[in-house]
Amino acid sequence: MSGQLIINGIVNASLIAPPAIAFSLLFGILRFPNFAIGAYVTVGAFIAYALNVGAGMPMWVAGLGAMAGTAVVVWLSDVLVFKPMRGHTPVTLLVVSIALALIIEHVIRLFYGADVRGFDLPLERPIKFAGLRITGEQIDIIVMTIVIGIAIHLLLQYTRIGKAMRATADNETLAEVRGINTSYVIAFTWFICGALFGLTGVFAGLDLVIEPLVGWYLTIPIFAAAILGGIGSPYGAMLGALLVGLAEELTVLVLPSSYKIGVGFVIIAVLLLIRPHGLLGQPEIKK
Amino acid sequence: MAEDLLEAENVCVGYGRGDIVHGVDVSVSAGRIATIIGPNGAGKSTMIKTIAGVLTRREGSIRIDGREIGGKPASEIARCGVAYVPQEANVFRQLTVTENLQMGSWIEPKEFDDRYEKVCALFPILKERAKVRAGNLSGGQRQMVAFGMALMVEPKVLLLDEPSAGLSPAMVEQMFDIIKQVNKTGIAVLMVEQNAMQALKISDHGYVMAAGQVAMSAPASELLDSSEVSELYLGTRQ
Repeated sequence: MSGQLIINGIVNASLIAPPAIAFSLLFGILRFPNFAIGAYVTVGAFIAYALNVGAGMPMWVAGLGAMAGTAVVVWLSDVLVFKPMRGHTPVTLLVVSIALALIIEHVIRLFYGADVRGFDLPLERPIKFAGLRITGEQIDIIVMTIVIGIAIHLLLQYTRIGKAMRATADNETLAEVRGINTSYVIAFTWFICGALFGLTGVFAGLDLVIEPLVGWYLTIPIFAAAILGGIGSPYGAMLGALLVGLAEELTVLVLPSSYKIGVGFVIIAVLLLIRPHGLLGQPEIKK
Repeated sequence: MAEDLLEAENVCVGYGRGDIVHGVDVSVSAGRIATIIGPNGAGKSTMIKTIAGVLTRREGSIRIDGREIGGKPASEIARCGVAYVPQEANVFRQLTVTENLQMGSWIEPKEFDDRYEKVCALFPILKERAKVRAGNLSGGQRQMVAFGMALMVEPKVLLLDEPSAGLSPAMVEQMFDIIKQVNKTGIAVLMVEQNAMQALKISDHGYVMAAGQVAMSAPASELLDSSEVSELYLGTRQ
């Protein structure tokens, strides 16, 4: 019984980890919590739906298309909305991002209504072993998330642009002074994060359902994972996602499953009280 | 006399409304050191930030080798051969010492190995602590990372904002020695210093700034001898 919960937890964690990494990367550079991340995920799910069901493309093509399309939408949200607002307080930007999330959600509703949809995939039996069940799609999600985690690590640690991303997040003025074109680095970060949100939309469509609020339901667990790991720390986000993913599923052992959605809130509240910089984050030094 | 490498003419700059620096002229030629001294709030750091492109001048002209750089973004000015070391937040705290130096050679990545050896010869501690995050270093070591980063390019002009701030007296001396050594390779150095006496001693030229303007501009030795300057800016600081 609890073995199945752990499997569910790991799937859940794999769903949360890529957007939590992306949220963390964006926060590192822009210094405000972007509440539109859920809407970005929804965009990814619907682009994949349009390509897969609407245009009849194979799932993997639709997935790549969703990543590319969402990357463009997310980057545009910076160009059109956040860039003109740079320099405003984090609270202002947070409110702006909530407004953006509502706008995106309702634009999607305009075209697709509120129906619950799914991808056009052949039905497969879940794989069973030792009384545990896991679907092929869930295995795909776990494997791809691990690959993404490693790829992001390699990007940040070993590539020139990755180091510039870290440097810009750390001290944008100094990065600029050393000759780094920070607006290019920031645009690149939005693109990468957009692709991760798009991929999450695809995962959500595979494991959950496709509807205009699908991303919104993931927003709180994503925030919880990023805060738990230490906001602005992509590695923390991976660890945070694993813990939040497992915690959400394992509460079913002690509480009715309808309380699952509250777990993220509890984690955020407790963390902000006892360790506001998260597990792997660096405490902010104020002079 | 050779053409000045760095020439700033009639520079006006400020934050928001109102200027902090009103029509300042500063120039340094290759292989020379110039120091700006003056009381707090005189606009010294503002002036140096403006040359580096961190702030944008409202009026006036800033030229490197005769080429106008005023109004360009800092990243482009860096590519024109200007290396600026800010006073605060002058290292990437989350990056290791070596990564900081890699960021230093961002515009000339192929030169990294060569320059790395040169910079580590000046500051051997940077090699010892290569894998430590800059944020975990002591203040003095951070200052060396900051300075070393600027030397990872071979700049034409080095802009230093309080290079001796937060250093122990022995290290201040060492820092000034290194500045002199670097300067001898032909780099023009413009610095802002609270440690006016010691800074002027290694400088060729000195500017006294007060209330956003250049109150005096004279060879450093003259400023050191001037009773007015020593009373106002040198005596009280020590």
